[in-house]
Amino acid sequence: MLRKSKRYVSLLIMVFLVVTVFVSGCGQSAATGQGSSGTAKVVNIGWTGPLSGGAAQFGKDTLDGLNMAVDEINSAGGITVNGQKYTFKVVALDDQYKPDMSATNGRRLATQDKAPVIFVNHAGGTYALQQFNTDSSNPFLLAVHSSDPGVAAHGNKLTFVGADPFTAQPDPYSKQAMQKFGKKLALIPAVTPYGQDWGKAMTSAWTNNGGTVTGTFPMDYNTETDYASYVTKALSTNPDVIFLGGPSQPDGLVIKEARQQGFKGGFILCDQASMEDVAKVVSMTDLNGTIGFMPLSQLSSPGVKKFVAAFEAKYNRVPTFHNSGMYYDMKVIAKGMEKAGSVTDPAKILTGMKQVLPITDDSVPYQLNSINDKGQMIIGLYGTMISNGKYGQPFSITPQQ
Amino acid sequence: MLSKNQKFKWSWLFYLAVLILAFIFPALNPGSYYIQVVSLAFIYAIAVYGLNLIEGYMGQLSLAQAGLFGFGAYAAALLTMKLQLSFWLAVPLASVLTAVVAFFIGLISFRTRGHYFVIFTLCIGVIINLVIQKWDAVTGGMNGLIGIPKPTPLGPISFDSLKAQYYLILVFLLLTVFVMYRLVNSLIGRTFVSIRNSEELAAALGINVMKNKILAFCVAAFFTGMAGSLYAAFIRFIGPDISSPTLTFEFLLYLLAGGQASIAGPIVGTLLMSGLTESLQFLRDYRLLLFGPLLILIVKFLPMGIVGLIHKLASRSPFRRSAAKSLNPSKTVKGEGL
Amino acid sequence: MSLFIQQIVNGLTLGSIYCLVALGLTLIYGIMEVPNFAHGHLYMVGAYVTFFGMTLYGLNYWVSALVAGIIIAILGVITERVVFNPLRHAPSSNRFIAALGAMMFLEAAARLLWGADFRSIPPVYDKVLSFAGVRVTEQRVIVIVAAILLIIALNLFLKRTIIGSSIEAVAQNPDGSSLVGINVNVVGMLTFAIASFLAAVAAALAGPIFLVFPTMGELIIMKAFVIIVIGGMGSIPGAIVGGYILGLTESLGATYISMDYKDVIAFLVLVIILTIKPTGLFAKGV
Repeated sequence: MLRKSKRYVSLLIMVFLVVTVFVSGCGQSAATGQGSSGTAKVVNIGWTGPLSGGAAQFGKDTLDGLNMAVDEINSAGGITVNGQKYTFKVVALDDQYKPDMSATNGRRLATQDKAPVIFVNHAGGTYALQQFNTDSSNPFLLAVHSSDPGVAAHGNKLTFVGADPFTAQPDPYSKQAMQKFGKKLALIPAVTPYGQDWGKAMTSAWTNNGGTVTGTFPMDYNTETDYASYVTKALSTNPDVIFLGGPSQPDGLVIKEARQQGFKGGFILCDQASMEDVAKVVSMTDLNGTIGFMPLSQLSSPGVKKFVAAFEAKYNRVPTFHNSGMYYDMKVIAKGMEKAGSVTDPAKILTGMKQVLPITDDSVPYQLNSINDKGQMIIGLYGTMISNGKYGQPFSITPQQ
Repeated sequence: MLSKNQKFKWSWLFYLAVLILAFIFPALNPGSYYIQVVSLAFIYAIAVYGLNLIEGYMGQLSLAQAGLFGFGAYAAALLTMKLQLSFWLAVPLASVLTAVVAFFIGLISFRTRGHYFVIFTLCIGVIINLVIQKWDAVTGGMNGLIGIPKPTPLGPISFDSLKAQYYLILVFLLLTVFVMYRLVNSLIGRTFVSIRNSEELAAALGINVMKNKILAFCVAAFFTGMAGSLYAAFIRFIGPDISSPTLTFEFLLYLLAGGQASIAGPIVGTLLMSGLTESLQFLRDYRLLLFGPLLILIVKFLPMGIVGLIHKLASRSPFRRSAAKSLNPSKTVKGEGL
Repeated sequence: MSLFIQQIVNGLTLGSIYCLVALGLTLIYGIMEVPNFAHGHLYMVGAYVTFFGMTLYGLNYWVSALVAGIIIAILGVITERVVFNPLRHAPSSNRFIAALGAMMFLEAAARLLWGADFRSIPPVYDKVLSFAGVRVTEQRVIVIVAAILLIIALNLFLKRTIIGSSIEAVAQNPDGSSLVGINVNVVGMLTFAIASFLAAVAAALAGPIFLVFPTMGELIIMKAFVIIVIGGMGSIPGAIVGGYILGLTESLGATYISMDYKDVIAFLVLVIILTIKPTGLFAKGV
């Protein structure tokens, strides 16, 4: 008999173990949702994105900007809504770029942390979260930082997209490149959904401007070990310009390889790459004729100067465009909350955000124009071309409405 | 005889308690986050039961499991989205389709043995993953499929709410556990174990080793595909990532932590590891730093997982010990097993 | 024509790296029957050690490569002692799983210590050599030549030295070797050291051409497994032939067949070969 009860006890231990892990563990960050520090109440701002795995760096880049915005707002005393002071707290969860983990994190942030706003920086996670962010029980505003035009395309009422769709870039880039180098373009887009869509947008912009495409060579920038065979293949079609759709450093290696194989033409970079990171891998002279986003630190507006100085002071490095995105998104959200008179109702917050735009002062690095009925914010961004080993003059990229 | 009956009663009581706990869990109002985590763990557990059958009972480490999971998910998604089939038709159909695919894979892959089999199935998994990625026209390529319909209402019961979906998944899980329990305790199940313990001996006894391996692989694939199709209807967005080999490794971790070749193992392991993953969120990168050594420690010290450990602690009688021994692959002689 | 030759050179560079990694993997498999999934991650750590040797400590490229080789050899021996040796008599699926564990650990550790971003080893031999319309950097020539030298050295070591012969003996018959007095334990450690050294040197050679990042090992290990399965697990000639075949298939396949389905082709070839000959092209044996 003793033996039997022992077995029973051990089975109980097993259940106990599972239950404890759940109850004690899952609620870890179920922090003091409305805990007060002094007189100010705390509003949790959710964030889900990759913090481990291959895309971890991208996740950390965007999160740094968000943290900086929240720290700035808090140290200025927070926001005042209906006479009550509120400060913010970022609750960041890792989803390893996987949609199901984004969904789990979203549920957790919405119900455990009562976050009225949840940031996400990839399309897959966005689609998973859009399945339930408008549920009546725990609605939240989905703040997407992705230039993928798909994220705003599904008519979700509580989605705010805080980045210009990349579809604005191919046209001005095509014009610049064609003028300088010629009408033949070869594309090496990434095999990611984002890269594929970029490639298509680039192709149509290029042909609309009267150019021809010599070939498209999709490449998996994340799993390819040697880019040389792609470069050889692309160069064999004799292009004047090559479009690159990968992250910064791989793009840099492709450029270097192309120059070593004797290519003299220009390059167009997609917005996943930032020129300053590309320049870490390849020399500025090899980069002559490269068109892409103007590096944030090269712009001279007061808003940019202020942001760059503050970022350098906080993180000890020069920020790229990716660092700034969630920074200005968060600024808009905070202002929107004050305007709306609510820190809990996501629909009111989004309406409030629409009302506070445009923001043209130096509190944000870029001019923020408006938010359209799809929740897409229209921003004024700048591109540039490298020539003589230096960044050229910025030209503006205006998204079509 | 009496003591055997006694044991029967105790475990019955225990399993009944767990079952009741599972059924009243959403009624305790734990919040949608907990329901989401547990539902997802249940879905994965169904897939891990598949792996348990092929690796635990059959001793064939198949690394194509995530590929099959992804196949099931895409099959169900396409059946509901493109052919407008009902969820209740799409799930069994997708599961059967996965089993059919597994039949053909099995036909070729079981010609190889040991590590060749493991790597062969890994390659099959990679191929499925790559085909899903590249076959834009059907799978949506890297974009995946968005807006997969929710489970079709069953008469008056709709599955719009998270709680309803939880119960739906729970029913599928119980079905899986029941079938697995009956299967491994049947003659077929004992045949599987005998093949695991010694292929030569089994063959000498007149067992058709090839046929049984393929059978086990197909049944495993059926449940893995079913898990995939439930995942598609639950998350309602799928991308090629769900068929990547990393997911297979996760299944393996769940199975080993829980205990292979046991009926409780997959569910205990999956719940425990999902809970651990969630509760260690704050550790971020350190979390993965812990999982690797944990895996090594488990295979070294707990080859039969937590369930195995508990059985070992609990069993004192000579009868039990011998039973535990026969199920313990670490006791098999080198060169056999896989 | 120059396109063809250019792609041959690209394929040979890639094939040389694959060879060196696959050789270590096949050696370990031959001696210990361990499918060492962590091998690619030792390659990754080797690349980081070379990178830091050059950038942080300002060491000469070749010195960095040597240091990386030695450090990774030690790391390899530690892996053997801590992870694989205690599981010598466990079923092979357990060793497989332990290898996965070691792989996860190394990758997480690298990401934690050095971050997830790409790094590139500063180029040393960056001059472009040009002949008959084909342009190749010196570094690529170095990779190809160094790989051939290393392969020859390894073969001489295995055939002409007593230690090398004892490794071969253990690969052919572990029980018999221990009967004639060969310490199987020492041979195991030695094998891991040599294999890891080769991986680290491969990483140092590839470093200035490729990028250095925590998941780089995962990519190469899949390829290396394909190679040794095609060549026959445990077979050294198989690994060499398989390495060059895969490298050339990748560069020429991308050019003349389909860029999109290039990776699928590599795995399909493997599946077809195993279907026809379930034990690989070359039988086991050194």
